[in-house]
Amino acid sequence: MYQTPKIFSQQKNSIQYKIIHIFRRHARSVAPLLTLTVLIVFFSFASEGGRFFSGRNFVNIFQQAATLAIMSTGVTFVLLTGEIDLSIASMAMFSGVLASYLLVNHGVPGTIAFISAFVVATFLGFINGLVTTRFRLPSFMTTLAMMQIASGLAIYLTKGRPFFEVPAIAHTLGTERWGSIPIIIIAALVILIIGHIVLTYTRFGRYIYMVGGNREAAEFSGVSSINVRMLALTIGGSMAGLAGLINTGRIGSAHAGGFEDMMLNSISAVVLGGTSLFGGEGGIPNTIIGLLIFGVLNNGLNMINLDIYLKTVVTGLILLIALIINVYSLKIGTESQETEE
Amino acid sequence: MNEAYLLELINVSKNFGGVSALRNVDFQLKNGEIHGLIGENGAGKSTLIKIISGVHTDYEGVIKLKGEIIRFHSPANARERGIGTVYQELSIIGALSVAENLFLGKQLLNKFGLVDWGKMFEDTENYLEMLGIHVDVRRPAGSYSIGIQQMIEVARIIFGGAEIIILDEPTSALSGPEAERLFEFMKRLKDQNKTLIFISHFLEDVLRISDRISVMRNGNKVYTGLASETDKNFLVQQMLGVEASHLLSNQRKSNKASISFGEKVLEVENLKKRREFENINFSVRRGEILGIYGFMGAGKTALANCLFGLKKPDQGNLKMYNKIINIRSTKDAVRYGIAYVPDNRRQSLFYGKEVFKNITLTYLHQIMNFFLKKKGEINITNELIKQVGVTPANPFLDVSHLSGGNQQKVVLAKWLVKMPKLLILNEPTRGMDVGAKNEVLQVVNNLKNQGVAIILMSSEPEIILDHSDRILVMAKGKIRKELINQDITKEELMHWA
Repeated sequence: MYQTPKIFSQQKNSIQYKIIHIFRRHARSVAPLLTLTVLIVFFSFASEGGRFFSGRNFVNIFQQAATLAIMSTGVTFVLLTGEIDLSIASMAMFSGVLASYLLVNHGVPGTIAFISAFVVATFLGFINGLVTTRFRLPSFMTTLAMMQIASGLAIYLTKGRPFFEVPAIAHTLGTERWGSIPIIIIAALVILIIGHIVLTYTRFGRYIYMVGGNREAAEFSGVSSINVRMLALTIGGSMAGLAGLINTGRIGSAHAGGFEDMMLNSISAVVLGGTSLFGGEGGIPNTIIGLLIFGVLNNGLNMINLDIYLKTVVTGLILLIALIINVYSLKIGTESQETEE
Repeated sequence: MNEAYLLELINVSKNFGGVSALRNVDFQLKNGEIHGLIGENGAGKSTLIKIISGVHTDYEGVIKLKGEIIRFHSPANARERGIGTVYQELSIIGALSVAENLFLGKQLLNKFGLVDWGKMFEDTENYLEMLGIHVDVRRPAGSYSIGIQQMIEVARIIFGGAEIIILDEPTSALSGPEAERLFEFMKRLKDQNKTLIFISHFLEDVLRISDRISVMRNGNKVYTGLASETDKNFLVQQMLGVEASHLLSNQRKSNKASISFGEKVLEVENLKKRREFENINFSVRRGEILGIYGFMGAGKTALANCLFGLKKPDQGNLKMYNKIINIRSTKDAVRYGIAYVPDNRRQSLFYGKEVFKNITLTYLHQIMNFFLKKKGEINITNELIKQVGVTPANPFLDVSHLSGGNQQKVVLAKWLVKMPKLLILNEPTRGMDVGAKNEVLQVVNNLKNQGVAIILMSSEPEIILDHSDRILVMAKGKIRKELINQDITKEELMHWA
């Protein structure tokens, strides 16, 4: 016969039980949140004259993280289904270049150029999904090839020379402010919120989590994992495209380069926040924490007395430590579940 | 005792924490014989084999090898003394060449300390040739069929010095011709003075290939005799125990066959899947439970997969309500009202996710719009877990925290969000205790009474006999016999398998 797990016989109201319970349910978010807090506290004290901990600097941090946030929203969808997308940075770069190319070389109106480039990036994401699911290629390989194709196309369009004109709408999104808040931050927040709503409150979002959690069981439940994964990779492409377009607006030019870091940063931010690389666990709140860790780290390291040439090394080391803490807290989380049974 | 025996077990017993798995077993193996070992699941065959091959070391009693009293302290120790076992899961490494597999862990080296490929290939070729296995030794072992791989594994064990080879259910994963080839191979080994223990569910095979046969029942060895002096009926009786079988036939007097069923829900015509099954014809009606009985490897799972759109049959038609249907995916199957409870719960449950998410997923597109309404999901879940009796009845519990029986009830519940027209159950009670078993089967019987057509696949005769209206016996990919479940005994059922 069945056994009632002990957790139901325990005193539900004891503080100890509550703390354990909260930790268990949010084991995935506890460690990243802790890392973030430690970093903020550290930089607040270590920065020269405490200039890290100021409203203006936080706006700075958000602004720097905004492009990454839009891209990472797409990456969150992709990772949750258990796939990966290595081509995001290239697709971002390509869409930015394409919009300027249409604008400059063919006189296409800015808004139409912007929308066309966004559609093309979405289509590239769709190709990623199509090849991965229909031809059963690991997304690692599909998107590795797409990485080459998209950046190759960007190089072809620029012929090595940057475009110094970008669509007006990109410029507006990337540089202007709404009141005192940069629009780019608002755009990033809107995208993150929409992403969160889709993942948490819609049928498609549920499918993403379930397919990522157990692809075979999804198939055995009549849910086509193919469609879900294809759509996730398509969203990955479209978000990358949008991020690339807004970024050209922010820097005022489009060229075939300078995006190399974005892919790794974006995937690390999502994973750092606690979303599983194997799918099924995590979400936008995790991604936001991961982005903030990244933003705080980048910004904070500039404000302490550190050899600028060591910055990358230190960043890498801190990320490594944070990931190790993530893994351990997850292990403790599952162990506390087991001991309670 | 008689020194002519190669291996002798005297009064061997084995307990697992107070439960006795073997009781005072005497077992003798003659040099150069093929010895068939049969018995129901749980009769003690595996335990006996594991003692002989050094897996279980804490047993009572004495083992003599060539007259010398021994006690193996590990499987490696037993191998050194010439006892090799081939389990159902082969240990061949598919990516390595046949030769590398044979020489695994002891590659030949040349004078520079590098692997001497030429000599390894040559030796392997000669050696396999001698055993009558004709393969390209340079090709990856995984590129050969399971049957060949099995022979390579046996060859490897003999190459490692084995005199006694234990074959555990070697034919259950093989097609007919492959099994024939294995038997040829076994005879050849016997001619080369190797001794074999052959464990199998297929009594005909055991009768044909063995010199002597031993029967296990409830941890006892109940019979040993020459294969030429016995027959299938006698062996089945020995396996089940005479008293027990009388009891069974008296018990089953229910008059299930006289109940008339509704319209035909599913009709299967001439279905074929290469290497899995062929010539499958049957139909199942509203409110009927069609039992499909067969051992592992009979083709039941492959058949279920084809009915549920997981695999494509090569030939044949499926009809629902007299109309031909084309099922290309599991999604199609769900749309036609087909539900499937697979033999492995991992294929059906999302461990780490809440019970309600597991239950509502299948019909989410029918019960929810674009946006989910959590309250609605919880209400549906609460109702269903009450209906099937999941305890604890908490829709938010991680499904992996439930016991096996309750997990299976969740699997059933996920198909009841919308009442299915056809429910396929594959080994629905495997590994469950009696209480959970009955509860699950109670749910199934309720569905039958509500007019669902049910296909119940199992390798447990009791389940099939107790719950089916009609029985198909499947063996080696074919339907051997159709039986109306009226006064059928376990013996009859097993006779056809």
